[in-house]
Amino acid sequence: MHGQADRRSEAMRSASEGTRRRAFTGLWVAALLAILSFLVIYPVFMLLLGALTDTNPVVDGIRLSLSHLSVANFLAVLANPNVGEALLNTLIACGGGTLIAVAIGLLFSWIVVRTNTPFKGFIAAASILPLFAPPLVAGVAWAILGSPKTGLINTMFKWMGSDLRIDLYSMWGLVFVFGIYYAPYVYMFTSSALRNMDPSLEEAAEISGASAFATLFTVTFPLIMPAIVSGMLLSFIVMLGIYGIPAVLGAPTNLNVLTTYIFKLTNWSPPLYNTAAAVAIILMVVTGLLVYLQQKLLSGRSYTTVAGKAFRPRSLDLGPWRWLTFALGVVYLLVVVVLPSLALIVAAFRKFMFIRDAASLFDMRQYSLMHFESIFDNPLTMRSIYNAVEVGVITAVVGGALAFAIGYTIHRTRVAGRGAIDLISTLPVAIPGLVVGVAYLWAWIGVPGGLYGTIWILALAFIARFMPDTVKALSTSFLQIHRELEEAAWVCGRGMLGTIATIVLPLARPGVLASMTLLFVLAIRELGSSLFLYTSNTMVMSVLLLDYYEGGNVGKTAAFSLVQTVLLGVLIGGANWLSRGSAQRSAARTG
Amino acid sequence: MDRRTFTTLALASAATLALPLRARADEFGSPELIAAAKAEGKLVFYTANYAEIEQQVIKLFNKRFPEIRVEMVRAPGGQLITRVKTEAAAGKLIADIVDHSDRALMQPLEDLFQDYAPPNAADYSKDALVSAKLWPRATIAWSIAYNTELVKDPPKSWIDLTKAQYDKLTGQVFAQSGGTTWTRIMFERQVLGEDYWAKQAATHPVLYPSGAPMADSLVRGEIAMGPLLYNVIYQKKKDGAPVEIFFPPEGVPVNPYATGIPKTASHPNAAKLFLNWCLSKEGQTFMVKELGNLTSLKEPPAFPEGFDPKVVKLWYPNFDQYVKLHAAWVADWDKTFGYRQ
Repeated sequence: MHGQADRRSEAMRSASEGTRRRAFTGLWVAALLAILSFLVIYPVFMLLLGALTDTNPVVDGIRLSLSHLSVANFLAVLANPNVGEALLNTLIACGGGTLIAVAIGLLFSWIVVRTNTPFKGFIAAASILPLFAPPLVAGVAWAILGSPKTGLINTMFKWMGSDLRIDLYSMWGLVFVFGIYYAPYVYMFTSSALRNMDPSLEEAAEISGASAFATLFTVTFPLIMPAIVSGMLLSFIVMLGIYGIPAVLGAPTNLNVLTTYIFKLTNWSPPLYNTAAAVAIILMVVTGLLVYLQQKLLSGRSYTTVAGKAFRPRSLDLGPWRWLTFALGVVYLLVVVVLPSLALIVAAFRKFMFIRDAASLFDMRQYSLMHFESIFDNPLTMRSIYNAVEVGVITAVVGGALAFAIGYTIHRTRVAGRGAIDLISTLPVAIPGLVVGVAYLWAWIGVPGGLYGTIWILALAFIARFMPDTVKALSTSFLQIHRELEEAAWVCGRGMLGTIATIVLPLARPGVLASMTLLFVLAIRELGSSLFLYTSNTMVMSVLLLDYYEGGNVGKTAAFSLVQTVLLGVLIGGANWLSRGSAQRSAARTG
Repeated sequence: MDRRTFTTLALASAATLALPLRARADEFGSPELIAAAKAEGKLVFYTANYAEIEQQVIKLFNKRFPEIRVEMVRAPGGQLITRVKTEAAAGKLIADIVDHSDRALMQPLEDLFQDYAPPNAADYSKDALVSAKLWPRATIAWSIAYNTELVKDPPKSWIDLTKAQYDKLTGQVFAQSGGTTWTRIMFERQVLGEDYWAKQAATHPVLYPSGAPMADSLVRGEIAMGPLLYNVIYQKKKDGAPVEIFFPPEGVPVNPYATGIPKTASHPNAAKLFLNWCLSKEGQTFMVKELGNLTSLKEPPAFPEGFDPKVVKLWYPNFDQYVKLHAAWVADWDKTFGYRQ
């Protein structure tokens, strides 16, 4: 009797637990979808509405806008041969840039993570520095170096008596700068994947007689393919949306890409936002296709390399070849970090950027602190720094948590609706910042409770805008963790949240920290969507930087971007140092 | 001297000393307005002008009225108008003052603004006004600038800029960039001749989205010369850059701003006081001398360096034509210069 009653109550308990779990899952998915609707769907709807009408949805009202629907903007845009040319230029520049970025990023992540190259820690730290510099600043720095008329590199060639000349105001220049500027992006993805990879697979290949080179191409790189493809795709997509670099390097020769074209549309007088929205939708379609392609490529394969077995990332002994990889590292640093930094330093400290010859470059009388004095004399400078850091921290913490929730739901659960979550959270990647800024303004200005005019509207815009970057960065970590580890925790009686806290989070921590850092950097640098959302109280650094640039002041632009770079370096170095401390603590605890 | 006489004399001299100050303070508004403005303590200022330039204006204003904080939002013309329209439609227009370089974009928004006129309204030239509510807080003028390190045989007029010897040395801000450039190209076609654009385009100018990056390129030597707004390039010259600026003899196109106070301003008194001060003789003199502006006051209190009022011919666009010709002429300009839309 007793036994039967026990069994019955147990069955009832598990049934009610099942119901509870289902209810919880339902609520969870509904909550995520609600957040995503607010952050993504609603602004995208406003953008579509803008592209399909000739009205401003806030000024003219949604109802009027809906009654004016037409595809006229699209027809006008598609019939315009200049849009076609801009699209072609965009694809060439971003395609070429991506190839260079992948080649460089992959090479350096391998050098840093898997070899015994001397000073590799230093190379690793320095190689992500370009990420700190806003694209506009990178563009300015490379214009100073590579202008055909006044570039410092050509000045030095002339001084050395060489006839060699370079011209970065060209498609080649654009491809080159895109490539080296976004190599760190690929590096960040691939290095964390390499770090998390079980080296026993490589050892097996070598034991079977494969050379180190063959192992690299037949085992290592194929295994971290999700990271490579994600990094490749993301850098391509991010290049699609970049304005600063093509604006500076392409403008002198009238070389248009889609973003500079969109900027023109929004900056003309009167501005043509509806046309810009239509061009933006075209950009979204291109990006959508790419994302679809990536999903297609990665689906149906297993990339699990982190399993329940202990391993220690090993480094390959390169012998004397390690000096070659070291030299490569030095050249990379020189080109990607040292040269542009020098250009910025010269511009920041030099009174005027007219440099007649090499002698004038080293004439110390031409240098002063006047640009720094002037920027710190401006009360907006300190306020913008404070605001930017505040927005950056909010974005990194809230956005990181949200991305973790989304990434976990997409990759580690089988709940209904996760496909929709995946799709919606990827959508913002396709919208160029400038246009999405207007969409956010249109969408959120009417939200009751006074969101507009606060720092939160900026943070929300950044969280939404960079959600795909963060979710993708995290996904590679999730894809690598074998299900058996979680199952082990469940078997031991842990609930879902407990499993996440004790298994998934610690294992995915390098990825989580990397993506939060990325989010912080991106938020501090982001310009396009800030332009419409900041108010007098919430001015951020990137907006002030654009002010300096648009004010025609390379000196102050350079000085302020040096300040920004140093600030980011200090903050991120500090964060890294803190997290390393906590990593050691947790290692000590488990050890 | 007894005590009473001394006190009387002292009071009298104090009063005499205080008078000019008092009179000058009155110039900017009634004591009630000033008190109300001080009580509000701040204002939000939307401008299409460069932040750095406006920062100097605010600094000087604060020397006179340190109790009033001016918070600035600066955006390029097109973006600023979109922001103002959208905020206004949502009932969240934060601006206490909107200051814009394109009068044609501002005039249709007239209804957003409250009735306002500065104490010295009668001193302003009618040519500069497009509405009784919008005032030419800033008035800026075109000039020609060149890099003295690169140009040994400088141009002396608008027509000189079309000389073949300056091929690939010039720069231009493109027509669609905004009200100030539109004023210039209208002047070029109406005053310098129907073929001026074609002649200018034949020298292969580098096209810029706005004057400031072009000024910077000129200083760096990317281009050697070109038409620039005087106030943009004047800052560089003042700092010692190797540039020279002149007002060409055929005429100087002038673009007055349109500045007004929205009906919804939450700091209307501070806004009035700030505008009164900007539009006063003191404010305008500062903008002319230190910023390189002109003024729309009928009797200018000062002129920028190198500006001889007897020689320079100012050119104000006919506002009707300014509005009506815009689309067609800009399209023509784009075609002539091979600027792709």
